[in-house]
Amino acid sequence: MKQLKLLALIVIPLGIIIAAVPADRVSQSRLTPHELLQEAGAGMQFIAPDAVADLLVQKNPSLRLIDVRTPEEFDAFSLPGALNIPLSNLLADEYTDILNQDAYVNVFYSNGSVYANQAWMITRQLGYDNNFVLEGGLNYWFGNILSPEAPSETSPNEEFAKYDFRKSAAAALGGGGVVTTDQAAPAVKAVKPPVTAKAKKKPSGGC
Amino acid sequence: MNSNSTTGRSRKYLNPYLGGVLLGLVLLAANYVSGRGLGASGAIKSVVATTIETVDKDSFSTMPFMAEYAESHSGSPMKSWLVFQMLGVIVGGFLSGAFAGRLKLKVEHSPKITSRRRLIFALAGGVLFGFGSQLGRGCTSGSALSGMAVLSLGGFITMMAIFGTAFALAYFFRRNWI
Amino acid sequence: MGPLAPNEIISENTNFLIAFFIGIGFGWVLESSGFSSSRKLAGIFYGYDTVVLKVFFTAAITAMLGLLFMSLFGWIDLDLVYVNPTFLSSAIVGGVVMGAGFIMGGFCPGTSFCGAAIGKIDAMVFIAGLFIGVYGFAFTYGWWEKLYLAKYLGEPKVSEKLGMSDGLFGLLLIMAAIGMFIVAEWAEKKFAREEY
Repeated sequence: MKQLKLLALIVIPLGIIIAAVPADRVSQSRLTPHELLQEAGAGMQFIAPDAVADLLVQKNPSLRLIDVRTPEEFDAFSLPGALNIPLSNLLADEYTDILNQDAYVNVFYSNGSVYANQAWMITRQLGYDNNFVLEGGLNYWFGNILSPEAPSETSPNEEFAKYDFRKSAAAALGGGGVVTTDQAAPAVKAVKPPVTAKAKKKPSGGC
Repeated sequence: MNSNSTTGRSRKYLNPYLGGVLLGLVLLAANYVSGRGLGASGAIKSVVATTIETVDKDSFSTMPFMAEYAESHSGSPMKSWLVFQMLGVIVGGFLSGAFAGRLKLKVEHSPKITSRRRLIFALAGGVLFGFGSQLGRGCTSGSALSGMAVLSLGGFITMMAIFGTAFALAYFFRRNWI
Repeated sequence: MGPLAPNEIISENTNFLIAFFIGIGFGWVLESSGFSSSRKLAGIFYGYDTVVLKVFFTAAITAMLGLLFMSLFGWIDLDLVYVNPTFLSSAIVGGVVMGAGFIMGGFCPGTSFCGAAIGKIDAMVFIAGLFIGVYGFAFTYGWWEKLYLAKYLGEPKVSEKLGMSDGLFGLLLIMAAIGMFIVAEWAEKKFAREEY
């Protein structure tokens, strides 16, 4: 009985402490720097602008664009349906549920890709999933999606397919007015960008 | 407090609460080092798989249960975490028994029954337990104990089923024990 | 950051070597606590010896608290720790069969190896039975396959299913265990039997 009292005296307070600590402090799935380097090195955070344009044109509900520039820049121009979360404010409590979730595909963008990448690094390190970076940022978007360059005659077929897609996308998104030759569906398929391929493995076990 | 000792010679058993804490620490170490808990029945499965494969390679490949096992274990089926762990269990149990003076070849049975009866029930119990452990994907160590430590629902359910059934059937087997 | 093997901080061979030493610890503690004796193991079902209950639940609580606190301090990533899957039907049926085996045989696989290691012949016979049972299952697998694979629920935790945090469930489990221990102490006095 004495030992039981001793056990209870130790174990009950520990139980109370662990019950009182908020749950998300207890389980963490942050990435180690090593893992983060691996993912960044593999370019896993990027999503191609063509893929984003496709999602926009199809009005895919899972896409959520996040503009990480300042509010002034956001007001001057933003992509359709985008939210503004300035980078300096990224870790504010009100945005946690937007950034840490698994319903939407969040795509960060900025003018180039520096700020968008920084946003990705920070959120990825916290273990958040489903956040991506628009490859090339708005600069590339303007130059190549909204006002695509016509491919030269000797370009391969895919170039023409891409060009047609971009023109129709640009028209749908309100870009530089271009007459489209045919409204053929774009060759680009990837609706859901590669989300998985986590570097972590699930261990086996059991009896 | 329950302090069992059969004769003056052998040492007493550990206080159960202390034993529990030590066992918990071993389990914690297993989880920290290997990312998995303790177990036992899986090692039996490994040995059975190896035996079947060695003795009769053809029927081994036609047994779906064994094939599924072979898939998840590249290399020899004996090269599994649990097999190494169980080898350690044998050594550890032996050492503990040796230090405590409990090493003795005997059939432990209630004086009210014969040792033959005890052995028959031991065999029957083993067959049932072996079968059940494969169906239940674990035994008391792997499913119940390790499962509870990680709060697994399956672990808890299996544990309740094991102990609930044993309690329910205890009356019918009381002659063997008390 | 743990766990070491899934994070590839140690090699697979080191993992197996450590498994051996963990096994030694496991076997030692089991035997020292009396789990090499079928009489002591069966005692919980008749009240005269509640060592199984005490050791079992104390170990579960210790390991559980250890894991939660280690996670809190950032020493282990619980996502990488194996959580037993839940196949509802086979978990129950398998458990029932095991329960019958337990009360008949007086051992479970882990304890039977301890018993055999110190010379208990009934433990050795139990182990022989285990092999027969496992082989029997594999041989007749076709009959049980549907049951074996039925009602897969993933790897849920009890705390998830009950809609509470791991820590809170841990506290409840601790309270329940302490309660059971108090009943166990009472039972041992009331149902005491001579030893053999």
